[in-house]
Amino acid sequence: MITFDRVSKLYGRVTAVGDLSLEIASGEIVVLAGPSGCGKTTSLTMINRLVEPSSGTISIDGRDTAGMDVNALRRSIGYVIQQVGLFPHQTVAENIATVPRLAGWNRRRIAARVEELLEMVGLPPVEYGRRLPAELSGGERQRVGVARALGADPEILLMDEPFGAIDPVVRVRLQNELLRLQKVLHKTIVFVTHDIDEAVRIGDRVALLSQGGVLEQYARPVELLAHPASPFVAQFLGEGRMVRRLALLSVRDAHLAEPNGSGLPAETVGADASLRDALDAVLRAESGRVTVRDADTVLGVIDSESIREASR
Amino acid sequence: MSIITYIVDNWGTLGPQAVTHIEIVAMSMAAAALIGLILGVFAARSERFSTLILGVTSTLLTVPSFALFGLLSIWVGLGNPPVIVGLVLYALLPVVRNTATGIRAVDPAVTGAARGMGMSPIQVLARVEMPLAAPAILGGLRQATVMVVAIATVGATVGADDLGQPILEALGRSSGTLVQVLAGVIPVALIGLTADLILAGVQRTLSRGTAREAVG
Ligand SMILES: Nc1ncnc2c1ncn2[C@@H]1O[C@H](COP(=O)(O)OP(=O)(O)OP(=O)(O)O)[C@@H](O)[C@H]1O
Ligand SMILES: [Mg+2]
Repeated sequence: MITFDRVSKLYGRVTAVGDLSLEIASGEIVVLAGPSGCGKTTSLTMINRLVEPSSGTISIDGRDTAGMDVNALRRSIGYVIQQVGLFPHQTVAENIATVPRLAGWNRRRIAARVEELLEMVGLPPVEYGRRLPAELSGGERQRVGVARALGADPEILLMDEPFGAIDPVVRVRLQNELLRLQKVLHKTIVFVTHDIDEAVRIGDRVALLSQGGVLEQYARPVELLAHPASPFVAQFLGEGRMVRRLALLSVRDAHLAEPNGSGLPAETVGADASLRDALDAVLRAESGRVTVRDADTVLGVIDSESIREASR
Repeated sequence: MSIITYIVDNWGTLGPQAVTHIEIVAMSMAAAALIGLILGVFAARSERFSTLILGVTSTLLTVPSFALFGLLSIWVGLGNPPVIVGLVLYALLPVVRNTATGIRAVDPAVTGAARGMGMSPIQVLARVEMPLAAPAILGGLRQATVMVVAIATVGATVGADDLGQPILEALGRSSGTLVQVLAGVIPVALIGLTADLILAGVQRTLSRGTAREAVG
């Protein structure tokens, strides 16, 4: 668990982060979101002490980070940035080996780890290990950046707009890959973005900051979209909150009607579909009713009324 | 008399002079590289130190070489020593300047990532900044070497027994011939060219990743 206790950071007379208190539970993805210049990067980099707080304490599992050896602290925390910052003079494999090497692992263990990580991020080691960063696409570089951050299997991963420079299609794919990895790895991930859609897609919780590092709301995405705590939050979330929220809810969350005598609607959705997909199907269906199927099993029938109820 | 036969006939004196010439250049460049790298690193870190050191080293370059060697010979005696010291001073500017620019040109995202992963400042310098600045540093060393190979000839005026001697003798005598001058100049040019080619080769091998990065 990462705890911010009344943390502030001042640059001269400018308050980058003001009196921030926040608890980040182990194994969760917490997204720091907010407009440009609101103090997201500053908050993030205070965790690995690339920036030192002006006041307040940040502790990891109850230990104040200010008392730790700074390089040891950083080696125990994975760090990914938007510009990736791969070492251009080193191969992909050498880049990924950075932290294990600093930690003094032996050659064999490093080689095995590098291979494992490349597999994990979906880059075949034989094909990619010896390439230089200049010989990779933007998305591939980003994957190598994530693999490098995972080098020595840190408990905590800090990600500063890691997919910011990637085109929207690849970006969604990388987001899904991160979620898939997280299912296996259960890391504590602090993820910075100014894209609210990305925030609600990947965050277990979202901390929404406003100018000066003021915490406006800290909540699960469904809660945030349903109940914005302030006009600022509502405005930052933008139009169509309730519809976008449907994308985060599953058909399983809805109360399904028993299939009755009048026969099953021809339109179907899968049991793992989101309510947004279900609503889309309902709007397309002649009868306004859609069959929910889990493979060959019929689970029930969904309509606009049950979607409305489930979304409240 | 052809220049080739002259050089062959006089190889007994020219040969050792060429060796001395190379020794003087090698020693001054080794010292200049070491000192220049250290000063260059500090210059990259501090704007004020950079202004100061570049000011001093470029001023040094404006001092005429025979005057500098002459002055230095008062301190360290005649022969090779004042020449070596003087050449080190001349070589500093390109080395310091290129080291500082090379390090400054490293992408802050790259050094930021290095620090963020737990590299100490020394490790960031040795494993990231220096390798990435290497092509620029080699560029400075090449410039300095070519310059030093040529200026070393002036060392003959303070008694260095290098390839400046045949030139100086020819110029000092009314009977001196063009062939005698060329007997010094041609080997000097060959040494300069060879050194430059070798360093260019080293520069190319050290440019791994960085050159292509600049394009991509
Ligand atoms: N080194 C610094 N010196 C002075 N001011 C700084 C420094 N770093 C950040 N700031 C200021 O602190 C505030 C917060 O910066 P920060 O980088 O944390 O914002 P951010 O939320 O990450 O923004 P973005 O989305 O644009 O990356 C900004 O007003 C910025 O100008
Ligand atoms: Mg930022």
